[in-house]
Amino acid sequence: MSRLTVKLGKLRLSNPTILASGLLSTGSLLCRALREGAGGVVTKSLTLERREGYSTPVVVGVKDGLVNAVGLTNPGGEEYLREELPLAKKGGGPVIVSVAGGKGEEFAEVASKAEEAGADAVELNLSCPHVRGHGLEIGRDPKLVREVVRRTKEVLSIPLFVKLGLSDRIVVSALSAEREGADGVVAINTLPAMVVDVYARRAILSNVTGGLSGPAIRPVALRCVYELYQNLSVPVIGCGGVEDWESAAEFILAGARAVQVGSAVATRGLRVFSEICKGLSNYLKREGIQNVDNLVGRLEG
Amino acid sequence: MRFEELGMYPARVEKAVRESPAVVSLHLRSPLPREPSPGQFVMVWLPGKEEVPMSVSGWDGARLRISVAKMGETTSELQRVKKGEYLGVKGPLGRGFELGRGPYLLVGGGTGMAPLIFACRRLRERGERVKVLVGARTSSELLFVTEARRTGAEVEVTTEDGSSGEGGMVTDLLERELPKRPWKVLACGPEEMLVRVVEECVKRGRKVQVSLERYMRCGLGVCGSCVLDPVGWRVCTEGPVFEGRLLLRTDFGKFVRDPTGRRLPLPPGRRG
Repeated sequence: MSRLTVKLGKLRLSNPTILASGLLSTGSLLCRALREGAGGVVTKSLTLERREGYSTPVVVGVKDGLVNAVGLTNPGGEEYLREELPLAKKGGGPVIVSVAGGKGEEFAEVASKAEEAGADAVELNLSCPHVRGHGLEIGRDPKLVREVVRRTKEVLSIPLFVKLGLSDRIVVSALSAEREGADGVVAINTLPAMVVDVYARRAILSNVTGGLSGPAIRPVALRCVYELYQNLSVPVIGCGGVEDWESAAEFILAGARAVQVGSAVATRGLRVFSEICKGLSNYLKREGIQNVDNLVGRLEG
Repeated sequence: MRFEELGMYPARVEKAVRESPAVVSLHLRSPLPREPSPGQFVMVWLPGKEEVPMSVSGWDGARLRISVAKMGETTSELQRVKKGEYLGVKGPLGRGFELGRGPYLLVGGGTGMAPLIFACRRLRERGERVKVLVGARTSSELLFVTEARRTGAEVEVTTEDGSSGEGGMVTDLLERELPKRPWKVLACGPEEMLVRVVEECVKRGRKVQVSLERYMRCGLGVCGSCVLDPVGWRVCTEGPVFEGRLLLRTDFGKFVRDPTGRRLPLPPGRRG
């Protein structure tokens, strides 16, 4: 499987599959994901204060995807880093701590605590579509992106990734993040969405609107990754509907150096990581490619 | 599994039956993506209120039965829904009981009888020998005693206050019963009771499967709210039915999680 090793700046992964933020969430489950073959894992997004999130229903399946509005549920950065991170680290692979917040100093404070607690990298969630002021509003404003990345970068020596959502200005925002020292850009987060029940005549999610993930958004995500790859020099990490080796390879060909896997955990279980790796490895062998790195962005024409 | 199978399916209430002062069964007609098996659960959404996990207490090939005890606002409203109203249902979800050749001893405490009555019916349909030990605090809280008898299972009853059957705990009956046959045990009820059931079965070398209850946010295996540490088992996905012996190495009987995911000691006297 050495064909699959990748580097994201200073961060070395045994393979390019990473558990996306917001799923599985406990340290023990992140540990399991690593042991089941994930090349890295991202924690749920941590905030300074504990957040209960929204009441149920918080997630519902649709054709080819999930729509969720969990509400950044977490026990607070400090508690999580103390109780859960050590369990995650037992998995033996890189643990990337996702951080959410409303202001630059909030991101910086949780990020520096994460580094102290032993995180291998930090991912800034600048793309949550369903908590006002805590994501997408920041990620689509290049000025705010610059501010948040600069402040976080000041206090951090481990790699810093920035997760952006779909917006007209995703490339401009990503360039701002790169200029302020981000070590990579993750794209994309869920798309703003909703689901209606015709018998109840109600929106199903308690928050009414949420975010759509899964194969339904893959073509949109691919286009974003492709454009980011054309414009950035730091690594791009693709996210949005990766569920098997073919979909992972699509992202890599479009320019992703690694991929994040989220919703597919619900339909395929934790073995999704090893299945993707096995398929990718065979594909590389068949195509006579030495390392997955040599596939990044190699679209013909 | 396909994503659509994790969707919300409309469920029309065909019948509401009061089983005891505390429990109402709802018979639901719903185009579920799969047939439920005993021990599995569904997420039940009362539009305008919350979505809550519910054991399946029956399935007649077309209709799903859930048995609702008052736990909070949503469950207390669920007890008042009327024939013809619509609920939403996700599922069936999770891993149920593994049912093989008997003899089977079913041990139910309080509302823990809900998944067991479904297992009892299925086992009796297959002609297995089944004995059911039903326990509750008091006689009015006994659940599915008559229904269990009607399946042809042998039934023994115990109440803590002695108002019906033998006075005492259902685990006292279990201790007496275990040595008599090579029972395979299925249990559901308050977690403190389940710990005693598992310990007793392990001591006697009997196989035991227990159905656990935890705070569950998504029910689909993605949110992590129902996880048992240190092993990282999701009650909604690897469970809710677990092999008892394996549970002894986990949070079982010791810790639960609050809605933010924080781990807290199991509240004393927690009832199923």
